[in-house]
Amino acid sequence: MSDLKVPAPKTGVIGESFAWARRASPVLWLPPRLRSPVIVAAIFAFALLFPILHPNDADIDSVANALTYAALALGLNIVVGLAGLLDLGYAAFFAIGAYAYGVAASWQLAPQWTSFWEPFQWLGLVAHFQDSGSDVVHFQVSFWLMMPAAAALAAFFGVLFGAPTLRLKGDYLAIVTLGFGEIVPIVVRNIPTVTNGAMGLNGVMAPQLFGWSFGVSATPYYYVGLGLVALLILTSQHLKFSRIGRAWMAIREDEIAAATMGVDRVKMKLLAFATGAAFAGATGTLFVAKLQTATPEMFMFPVSVMILVMIVFGGIGSVWGVVLGALILQLLQSWFLEDLSQWLHWLGRLIDVGWLQRIELAGSIELIFGLILVTMMLYRRQGLIPATRRVAALTLEEQSAPVTRGGVDSLQGLGALAGAQAGPLLAVDNLTVRFGGLVALRSVSLAVPAHSVLAVIGPNGSGKSTLFNAVTGLVSAEGGSVRFAGSEIAGKPPHVVLERGIARTFQNLRLFPNLTVLENVLVGMHARLHTGAVGALLRLPRTRREEHAARERAMQILAIFGNRLVPRVDHVVSSLSYANRRRVEIARALAAQPKLLLLDEPTAGMNPAETLELADQIKSLNRLGLTIILIEHKLDVVVNLAERVVVLDHGEKIAEGTPAEIRRDPEVIRAYLGRSAESA
Amino acid sequence: MLDANGMAEAPLLEFRAVDTHYGDLHVLKGVDYRIDEGEIVCLLGGNASGKSTTMKAIMGVVVPSSGDIHYAGHSLAGISVAERVRRGIAPVLEARRLFPRMTVYENLEMGAYTRVRDREFGEDLERVFTLFPRVKERLKQLAGTLSGGEQQMVAIGRALMAHPRLLCMDEPSMGLAPIFVEQVFDIIQAINRQGTTIFMVEQNANMALQIADRAYVLQTGQVVLSGAAAELRQNPLIREAYLGEMKVA
Amino acid sequence: MPRPLMTLDPVFVQQVINGLSLGAMYALLALGFTLVYGILELINFAHFNVFMVGSFIGMWALEALGLSGQSITLSGLALVGALIFAFAVTMLASGMLGVAIERIALRPLRGVTGTAGMITTIGVSYILFNVILLTVGAGSLNYPNPLPTVRWDVAGAVLELRQVLIWGVALALMLGLQLFVSRTRLGKAMRATAQDAEAARMMGVDVDRVVMTAFFLGSALAGAAALIFGLYYNFTSFIIGYTAGLRAFTAAVLGGIGSVTGAMVGGVLIGLIESLGGQYVATRWTDVIIFSILILVLVFAPSGLFGRAAATRS
Repeated sequence: MSDLKVPAPKTGVIGESFAWARRASPVLWLPPRLRSPVIVAAIFAFALLFPILHPNDADIDSVANALTYAALALGLNIVVGLAGLLDLGYAAFFAIGAYAYGVAASWQLAPQWTSFWEPFQWLGLVAHFQDSGSDVVHFQVSFWLMMPAAAALAAFFGVLFGAPTLRLKGDYLAIVTLGFGEIVPIVVRNIPTVTNGAMGLNGVMAPQLFGWSFGVSATPYYYVGLGLVALLILTSQHLKFSRIGRAWMAIREDEIAAATMGVDRVKMKLLAFATGAAFAGATGTLFVAKLQTATPEMFMFPVSVMILVMIVFGGIGSVWGVVLGALILQLLQSWFLEDLSQWLHWLGRLIDVGWLQRIELAGSIELIFGLILVTMMLYRRQGLIPATRRVAALTLEEQSAPVTRGGVDSLQGLGALAGAQAGPLLAVDNLTVRFGGLVALRSVSLAVPAHSVLAVIGPNGSGKSTLFNAVTGLVSAEGGSVRFAGSEIAGKPPHVVLERGIARTFQNLRLFPNLTVLENVLVGMHARLHTGAVGALLRLPRTRREEHAARERAMQILAIFGNRLVPRVDHVVSSLSYANRRRVEIARALAAQPKLLLLDEPTAGMNPAETLELADQIKSLNRLGLTIILIEHKLDVVVNLAERVVVLDHGEKIAEGTPAEIRRDPEVIRAYLGRSAESA
Repeated sequence: MLDANGMAEAPLLEFRAVDTHYGDLHVLKGVDYRIDEGEIVCLLGGNASGKSTTMKAIMGVVVPSSGDIHYAGHSLAGISVAERVRRGIAPVLEARRLFPRMTVYENLEMGAYTRVRDREFGEDLERVFTLFPRVKERLKQLAGTLSGGEQQMVAIGRALMAHPRLLCMDEPSMGLAPIFVEQVFDIIQAINRQGTTIFMVEQNANMALQIADRAYVLQTGQVVLSGAAAELRQNPLIREAYLGEMKVA
Repeated sequence: MPRPLMTLDPVFVQQVINGLSLGAMYALLALGFTLVYGILELINFAHFNVFMVGSFIGMWALEALGLSGQSITLSGLALVGALIFAFAVTMLASGMLGVAIERIALRPLRGVTGTAGMITTIGVSYILFNVILLTVGAGSLNYPNPLPTVRWDVAGAVLELRQVLIWGVALALMLGLQLFVSRTRLGKAMRATAQDAEAARMMGVDVDRVVMTAFFLGSALAGAAALIFGLYYNFTSFIIGYTAGLRAFTAAVLGGIGSVTGAMVGGVLIGLIESLGGQYVATRWTDVIIFSILILVLVFAPSGLFGRAAATRS
């Protein structure tokens, strides 16, 4: 067996969990159709009836608390599970939402009454309170108004914290968020006029519905919590299975590849962060309304960790998983710890062990969390309900079916250019790229006419991939220009280059390992689709039409490769063969409707038959009008496909011409075979 | 190589039908090499031919999925990297890979990591200084501040400090200015004359074939040509193999 | 604010003295943390609770000698002997705890990229914290301190024996570490592994052993810092990992994570900031100040003063 495993996705714990999911045989595996409407309906029916079936106020209160944490888990799941951003200070947003409502609906702030407050009074947001000697404003903003307002406020802080920090690497980002998570409660504790400091807010108003106040019974809070969780589950699912969710997961899997496929990383990361923050902010209002008090201790690091433990336990990235994880861990605390302690006492008496008889598990809940966290990370990183769905394996028939070759005719219009292109489609002029002291490209110039195929060849280390990286914005050039369809693109970020119409593949394959074939291709379409967060959330008819059209287009593209990829459309790409993975990467690039396609050693690792087939397909794509630049070292492929060839050596262009000319060029031969001593 | 009785000696290093995989990618496909003691053998090939994987397999970083690698009469299966170094295989890594924030001297010391500091260590150090006078001048300098050519000298010196029987060099000429390339190849010959067997992966076929005894040419993981260097130098098929045009069975 | 330093303000000098003492302690703690990061690029949260556990071990070691509270003081050989015993026991036990953590919780995750290891160290940190909390309780315990109270006057401020001791121990340990990494075979192997682990492996270095050594040394330094904490403040409790840890962590980041010099310089700086900040701003804001420094350094100058770490996405 090979010492090297499948190249590990460079994705960290989140990605690794998904990878494990596919290899593990889970014990608590729930059928993929859990999301089936029948089961979901049954669960909600039960949840609705629960307080009626079991009218024990203490128990209902416990479940209401558990639902609060489920909502928080859903929010953190978006940040950590979907977008792959480790946030260790999530409780800060929880605090912001909580204190927002707390301050807006209690006696904490009581400024002097002036006529300034009259319009607010008229709106019902404040009341005019007159008592012997005092004439003050009483804030009494409605809970129902405050919940979305708190969500918005938390989202605002999410953007504020995120903007300077989301570009940091994973573990550094975690530390910074931890910092924010700590600063917020400390600030809260130290501005007592607003927050009543360490003593905490009290007298927070209970929510009111049509004049009737919620009072002390847990039941109305239970229903609000249930509604909130249902809403957040729906929101999470809608976002996850939309253009936005795919962009998030692409960032999680491989940020660089996501950027070259058109994903605006900064915007998407901020969106994820703000959405997660909004979930926490909204939940904060419910939390405070139920307790009618808030102290800084309720929002400190242990709370952030607890929510992290819940999502790790339940299944990072899985919407139902994190809800389950939160419910189990919360109810464990409320319902079972006490009984477990009694049982341990009994055991202690039985075997006469002193500390067992005295142990109180309730106080050790954090120890249990620590143990759960370590155990899950070591033995089951994908959690109780893994986020990746198991797909039925191909039937024997499908596996042994003879390979068919598709055609590219369905992709008419690919590569078409608006108007005639005078001059080259891509003009690289005197491009120089330096890495520290090393000159990777030195004053390289080339021109690619529209609708042509250009091959770039050269020995190892000659700068071919660097050329691609410079054109697509992954590395910055020191001098020279890159003009595409007449406008300068040098220095533009990768997602902008994609939008302009240049798509690429990578020499070492950069797919999104834990996403399916279809999802990978759909990410390629990110820049050509328009659904935003609102459209994704509401699943507007326009959004659904766009998704449907996108999927059809994706299938058309995959059909180029006959029946190699189409039957595997819902398979996670890391389970595909090497050659198929190369094909998916090409399909993904095509999905971006590029005018110029950059292929970096597309036939690497393929046998001669596969190479021939792919070369043919590339030729057909070119005949449709697509302009192609090809890095390739198999010269027979180059001869077959390319009209012109550029040869690089040590970062410089040493030859250019037709394939036949290049083959005979002594400079080229010398570059490949090395200078001999006599001619040194 | 024939021994005193005229019998063929066992080779120092031998690959027997070695296959390696990287995930499901088949990299080396049933390759056979043979390197006799005292030879300079080079492994040639173009991009992505499997040359680097060969080097990694010898060092033990990559484990063959089938086939066997034999060294000095014993199989290397299951032998750790450190043990291989102790048995006399030392690497000169691709792109040098010196420890940038350690001094030249400390880098040389690291080459001798698996050895005891005995008199032989001192002798080896002297030998390195004789081969590379410039290295001796820069002993206290941080390795990362040296030029490419100087780093290559230190890298070779570092490997020599392991007192190896077999020196494995991965693309010694890569990234070096032409004048250094000549120096490096001269030094390789000198080291070989002093008794060290050399197995060299190289992209620069012309220079390599001038100093090698024998060579193998790889293309996409298979040996497509092999033989005495003198013959291969004249063989036009080499160009085809490098340019990826050779038809492989 | 201090008067112009023509004549040194005694309050200022006092705070500088205090700050330097704190700084020495933070430097040791930061140093242990940065040793592991330099090799594994792992942020080990558990380090600071190893520190906390270490202080309890030190306390028990001193109590085992019959010392308790500050009532019994020793001098001369007896004092030196007691201290050597306490430091040896504490550092050894802390070091072994660190090795155990690496072996059990971190080695299986060695190949996993990203934040998996860090998350696991959060879990381990929790476990340590709560085990102590549950067994020893939440109160702070009086630390045995055999040091006689000896004071000197420096420019109007007070310099105590224990502060001199702290500096002596810290400098000795830092010097010892420096000698270890620059002169010994294993120390050089550690440096080589931190710079290029694969090349080191090809030289025959046993990377597993190097990692284990880093954890041992780092945790032993934490143990020393912990004993110093107890002797300086005369108390210990379950919470000190968090409070001192935040400062040491910021010190490591400020100095440049992965840099030995950085940890030492950063530690001293943070000690001074804490001391002077507490005097001239307000103690209740020191946490915010330190967190802010942490965030600002990471956002604007992620490689700190001496580090090379690339903190932004590749």
